[in-house]
Amino acid sequence: MAALGARRLFCHGRRWFSETTPDAPSPTPGPLYPPVVASVTAKSQAAKWRRLDRFKQRVHAAATVEEKLRLYGKLQRPKYMVYPQTFALNADRWYRSFTKTVFVPGMPPGAAAAKAPVAATGATPEAGRAPEPGAEAPGAANTPEPPVGAAPYPDMGHLRSLTCDALLQESFYQNKKRPFLYRDQDHTPGPFLTQLVSTLAAFLSGRNPLLAESSLDLKPEVNYYWHHGEEVVVHGHRKGRVDPVRFQIDDNPHLQIRVPKQLPEVVPLESDLGDVPVIDHQPSKLPLFKKQYENKVFIGSKVADPCCYGHTQFHLLPDRLKRERFIRERLEDQIEVVYRSNGIASLFAWTAAQAMYQGFWSEADVTRPFVSQAVVTDGKYFAFFCYQLNTLALTPETIKNNPRKNICWGTDSKPLYDVVEDGNVKGFNDEVLLQLVRFLLNRPKEF
Amino acid sequence: YPLFQRGGPQLRIFRPNFFMLAVRPGVPQPEDTVQFRVSMEMTKVDIRNYLERIYNVPVAAVRTRIQYGANNKRNHRNQRVKKPDYKVAYVQLGQGQTFQFPNLFPEKEQDTETRSFDDFRDKYMEKEKQKQEGDPRRGGVPDWFGL
Repeated sequence: MAALGARRLFCHGRRWFSETTPDAPSPTPGPLYPPVVASVTAKSQAAKWRRLDRFKQRVHAAATVEEKLRLYGKLQRPKYMVYPQTFALNADRWYRSFTKTVFVPGMPPGAAAAKAPVAATGATPEAGRAPEPGAEAPGAANTPEPPVGAAPYPDMGHLRSLTCDALLQESFYQNKKRPFLYRDQDHTPGPFLTQLVSTLAAFLSGRNPLLAESSLDLKPEVNYYWHHGEEVVVHGHRKGRVDPVRFQIDDNPHLQIRVPKQLPEVVPLESDLGDVPVIDHQPSKLPLFKKQYENKVFIGSKVADPCCYGHTQFHLLPDRLKRERFIRERLEDQIEVVYRSNGIASLFAWTAAQAMYQGFWSEADVTRPFVSQAVVTDGKYFAFFCYQLNTLALTPETIKNNPRKNICWGTDSKPLYDVVEDGNVKGFNDEVLLQLVRFLLNRPKEF
Repeated sequence: YPLFQRGGPQLRIFRPNFFMLAVRPGVPQPEDTVQFRVSMEMTKVDIRNYLERIYNVPVAAVRTRIQYGANNKRNHRNQRVKKPDYKVAYVQLGQGQTFQFPNLFPEKEQDTETRSFDDFRDKYMEKEKQKQEGDPRRGGVPDWFGL
């Protein structure tokens, strides 16, 4: 009996022992085997995606912005060189499709309403009267100004006299030889623009403290590199593979103002003001050509510079894009296209490079809009552009679920003056000067 | 003929010895672009003047390239046979005009007679083929095979 009982005890012993330790929340042991992921070196789609993911993780985890930019542009492949100042027909439509930009004619309504009182005070005196060189009495312009406060509106007469001084100095007073062949723009309009901008910026820095902290660059370099769309490689050892279409803009504006604080947004980030043109053809039909060289992203100064945001750019159109040449070849509608394509391409490159300097890129899209302004001129005709960058995600994977579009506001080109004769500037246009002053006075709310 | 100077009377007319052939583009071109095969000696200026003066076509831009004809084929004597080189011109039309190369061989609409004749002919051919093949129940075995 006892033996039987002992055997029964022994038979159930193992189960009994296993039930005596009833710790229900036993800690689950860690994974016994490493996670099953695709290979890194295989010749397969999964391996390719894994390599891409590893690259993106590397860029996300980069410690500094310089390291991020270095990794972003590390792989060099043939890319399309996009020139902002181009003679290609209907280039602005193509450039809008490359940069996912909506073009809105006219200036944004916020800028026009805020400075309406300036227009009222400036236009009532000398409306269209040709001023005398340098002998302008600012007293006549001061009387219509409101006596309240320390004259918050700028003195239009003084500004007009500054402009006419600069113009006459370059074209009338200074004795210059005839310009060399196709160097007309460097002869007169170039120095006039530099002089005008530096004097106006210096004068208006009293009203706009942002200009006092700004940095004025002469002939800076602005570069940006991005991917947009997909194509199949046609020739070479990589034939048949699907590649992203790479673009590079290398721009040299005539002048540039960089500021330490960003300009305020014009419209909210997710606003939709129009349609982006979709062009099915290859970019090489524009015509656009491919070359392989350094993938550079640059705003005009290096990353460590405190003035890392853009305020205004000034572009001077070269001689081969003169109005007379287009009129002679009966391509009048392409004149405005030249201004628009220059504005859109240059401003996209500048704002996108500013966003990259803050650490955003196509996988890490911008969280706040980047705004910049530009003035495109050929010495006499001025066109004004304002650009808001809402998205950097233009690569084939990131553009799929991205409803945001970049927006560019732009005006037609208007003449600043009609003709300069015998020390007089005839037909001065106040609106153009007003718009220029508005651009320079643009500043964030806290200032 | 007296020597011609600018402004003088034009007593001679020169007709160009060039010919331009409009071709269908191999790769899709934008709507305002027309592709031509032109003589090797023509320049962009020549092409523009040719189209504007003779055909009154507004030309906005002309781009040219020379296509090299390959020299790889061999004839019966193992000599290399060269395909001729030719110049291709891409002409962008002005004033917003567009051009689409037409379909030169559209499918003709068949009237009822030809359609019924085609049906009759197809059915007759089917019957002839079936007669040739033999009984399908024999599985392709010829009919002289057997007992």
